[in-house]
Amino acid sequence: MTVPRTSYQDARAWRRRSAGAAMAAPALLLFGLFGVVPLLGVMVLSFADWDGLGEPGWAGQANWAAVLTDPGTWDALALTIKVMVVSWLVQTPIALALGLFQAATGRLRAMLAILWFLPLLLSAVAIGLAWQALLDPTFGLGATPGLGWLARPLLGDPDLALYTVIFVIAWQFIPFHALLYQAGIRQIPVSLYEAAAIDGASRTDRFWRITLPQLRYTIVTSTTLMLVGSLTYFDLIFVLSGGTGGPGTATRVLPLAMYITGFQAHDMGRASAIATILVLTGLALSLVTTKWSGFTRMNSQQEGS
Amino acid sequence: MNRRIALIASALLAAAVVTGCGSSGPAQTSAEAGLTMWALSDQTTLKASVDAYNADHPDNKITLQLYANDDYKQKLRVAFGAGQGPDIFFSWGGGALNDYVKSGKVAEITASDVDTSKFTPSVLKTATFGDKVYGVPANGLAPVVLYYNKEVLEKAGVQPPKTLDDLKAAVATLKGRGVTPISLAANSKWPTLMWHEYLLDRAGGAEVFDRIGAGTTSGWLDPSVTEANRLLQELVDLGAFGDNASSLSYDQGAATALLYTGKAAFELMGTWEYANIVKAAPDFVSSGKLGYLAFPTITGGQGDPGAIVGNPSNYLSVNAATKDKATAMAYLKDYVLNDSQVDAYLAAGSVPPVNGLENKLSAITTPDKAWLQFVYGLVQKAPTFQLSWDQALPSEQADPLLTNVDESFLKKITPEQFGQNMSKVS
Amino acid sequence: MTTTAPADPTRAAAPVTRHRPSRPPRRSSAHSFYRTMTGSAALLWAAIVAVPLYWVMITSLRERADFLTSSPLSLPENSTLANYRTVLGGGFGTYLFNSVVVTAVTVVITVTVSLMAAFVIARNSSRWARWYFRLFLLGLAIPLQAVIIPVYLLIIRMQLYDSLLAIILPSAAFAIPITVMILVSFLRDVPDSLFEAMQMDGAGEWKQLFNLALPLTRPAIVTVVVYNGLQVWNGFLFPLILTQSNEQAVLPLALTLFRGQFGIDVPATMAAVVLSTLPILILFIVARRQLIAGLTAGFSK
Repeated sequence: MTVPRTSYQDARAWRRRSAGAAMAAPALLLFGLFGVVPLLGVMVLSFADWDGLGEPGWAGQANWAAVLTDPGTWDALALTIKVMVVSWLVQTPIALALGLFQAATGRLRAMLAILWFLPLLLSAVAIGLAWQALLDPTFGLGATPGLGWLARPLLGDPDLALYTVIFVIAWQFIPFHALLYQAGIRQIPVSLYEAAAIDGASRTDRFWRITLPQLRYTIVTSTTLMLVGSLTYFDLIFVLSGGTGGPGTATRVLPLAMYITGFQAHDMGRASAIATILVLTGLALSLVTTKWSGFTRMNSQQEGS
Repeated sequence: MNRRIALIASALLAAAVVTGCGSSGPAQTSAEAGLTMWALSDQTTLKASVDAYNADHPDNKITLQLYANDDYKQKLRVAFGAGQGPDIFFSWGGGALNDYVKSGKVAEITASDVDTSKFTPSVLKTATFGDKVYGVPANGLAPVVLYYNKEVLEKAGVQPPKTLDDLKAAVATLKGRGVTPISLAANSKWPTLMWHEYLLDRAGGAEVFDRIGAGTTSGWLDPSVTEANRLLQELVDLGAFGDNASSLSYDQGAATALLYTGKAAFELMGTWEYANIVKAAPDFVSSGKLGYLAFPTITGGQGDPGAIVGNPSNYLSVNAATKDKATAMAYLKDYVLNDSQVDAYLAAGSVPPVNGLENKLSAITTPDKAWLQFVYGLVQKAPTFQLSWDQALPSEQADPLLTNVDESFLKKITPEQFGQNMSKVS
Repeated sequence: MTTTAPADPTRAAAPVTRHRPSRPPRRSSAHSFYRTMTGSAALLWAAIVAVPLYWVMITSLRERADFLTSSPLSLPENSTLANYRTVLGGGFGTYLFNSVVVTAVTVVITVTVSLMAAFVIARNSSRWARWYFRLFLLGLAIPLQAVIIPVYLLIIRMQLYDSLLAIILPSAAFAIPITVMILVSFLRDVPDSLFEAMQMDGAGEWKQLFNLALPLTRPAIVTVVVYNGLQVWNGFLFPLILTQSNEQAVLPLALTLFRGQFGIDVPATMAAVVLSTLPILILFIVARRQLIAGLTAGFSK
């Protein structure tokens, strides 16, 4: 190995660069192979004709023509966005309220916070199986005296199923977001509240004028996690709907539509086209949130990226 | 602080290693030598044939892996797609098996491999493509029949229905008594398809689905397809399936439980349900509370009242890429539906598709005798035995079919739309 | 789950200092009303969380017949551990072992390669370092579900199908972007002067990485270990598609196998649910503070 030893500085710069390359390579390799290559692969496959058994062949425009003219695709996209928006609307206020509650000290509060945290430890599959049995209209919770109003097909009625799914998602993820808010709230300087109290601000005023504005970065983080995360609600919906995205197509969000097309109807080409739509949705969403969070970061000292 | 986490993690790891190596449960068997075989988890009799084989061949065992019904098809496809399909696998025959045959994944079973003449010819046909046999029957005859809870019917003063109109009247009476008239695991979709199949068969005759199966779009657009959907939705409107059907998935068994716990009066299901009920509620069956019927006729329908739908049987096929075809064929030849297997099936309340069963049937003394004779007679007298559509059709049509069946059941589409949607897929 | 807004720069100045929880001065009647409101809302949510968990617990102790006939929330008449024996006899040890191996190896790989990557990004302002970072930013937006088909193809071609490595490698790859993100935002807060001082002493890049970056980012490393650990432990899609045999099944996949095996036997399924959660629950009980603090440190700083 010949090192250009024109000067001590050059040698050091070279060592620095080679060390940097060596450090950068493993992540690049791993992510490139299983992230970037499949990303390009899914786009290529969306033009392929492959039933999962034989060898992939060329399909030209056929998959895209079929997917784009299939109302099912657009329904799935609309459902995905609906899940995203409704989940945010449900989870954010509850998580914020719980975060406020948890942030204060006290034994009871700490104990409740631990209780709330538990769903986060369960896997989506465990949660799905538990809720599926729990919401069984005949043998589930609805059979308890006094809880008869639960004895309805919450997962079976096409008009209710999506909201039930959104509720179970919230049940799982609210603790995480409550935790983010709790941490955010605990970092608000007490002096701000003291000053406001001296000015005679009411409790509500203090919430709107101090707590919420001070939490804006937490809100951005939590919102971004929720929105991008909602594109990936696959496991839970898969289990809750018995792998069908049903009843009917009531909970068939994009990831499920992709899975069903690819691994149940065995049309990998079309499934790849749906997957590409999912990728594009993700990219669009991340552009929007980056822009939005960039906007809120205007007065920061340093660039995020 | 972090050291504590690391300590716990390594302790867990160690515990896992110990338990992982120490306890060898029934689900984990080494696959170093021998063959792999996949089947469904409720097939205990089939499992006994593998056990028998393994007892005779301790150095060349078959590893049996069992799956839930609803997951199985996807698992099998993905494994075959990865070139790691099992050596012997279970299927329903029909178009789904033909997918694999067409891709060259299935080994032909010749007369020299297995003497197929012992099987009921009409049943063997479902796994025969282009005059070549690709699967041997390995389960009981599985027509779909209408089960009922005798006690519930008696209490409500309802007679077992002979026609669809009888059934509708029964529905009205039962509903008034707070019983779910018909238990249906609509979440799994294929149980709803059973209603479709029978309603179409009774309304339009077997000929309509023959046209559909032949791949002509005119089949789906036949007026009787619309009629079948109309009849189904009529039952839905009557509240025949209760409010909760679409929450029930078959694998969870709640639909079955509704029947034997008396919360529902009827259930339309394959003959395998008998064994499930015996297993879950033996007293219910032994005290004679379980009733069963052929599907009711439809007044003015074109179909033969004796026609049946369901699964002629299940089949075992051999992976074309198996490393030891001779062993696989030897297992199929000597252990599948051999004499002791036939007895075992009969003992489990299931009628195996082999010739010359009359003597064995009449020699039976167990309480299952009436049931076995009912099933045997039903199949013997049936002019046609239609394989379930989701298995008969190629898999790219099966999924849209199940989705549209569900949508029709949920009344998200009109009876006319069902045939229109399906004609676009085929 | 991913984020594109990892760092909250206004907080960057004091990432570790904890303020005392805000406790505004007491107020009279309006205050107690407020307290009652939040208190009852908190209790309501506690019930929403506790009742299902309680139900899962007692159902797992019920006899099968008892389950079908008795009131769901009542204590079982004859509680039994038979369901647990059924699950433990069904190869649970293998599944647990697989889950632990997959999670541990994935997390170690992810955190190691991500820390190196984050160090390069934070310590370099060259154009390629910026592009490198941008690549991971892009990666944040890719839902792993979307690429499962090509990943499946890739795993088949690499002859890894139905092995634990088939789960580990893609899981690690998809955990890299968020991990890099969190670590970069932490490393950027380390004053340059510290690194420069080390450089003056003649320390190379690797030494700076191990002796400075690693200890200083410890809170963030706890975060990514906990976060990725939970994600991988609970991951379902990769195991579902990329493995098939019982010998390679991880716990979430095993749960669906158990469900299929037990069918109507809801109590046994619930016992499997409880057992699958037990290892992580034990970890939670023993190291609760670290887990909770770790989970948020990297996100909320």
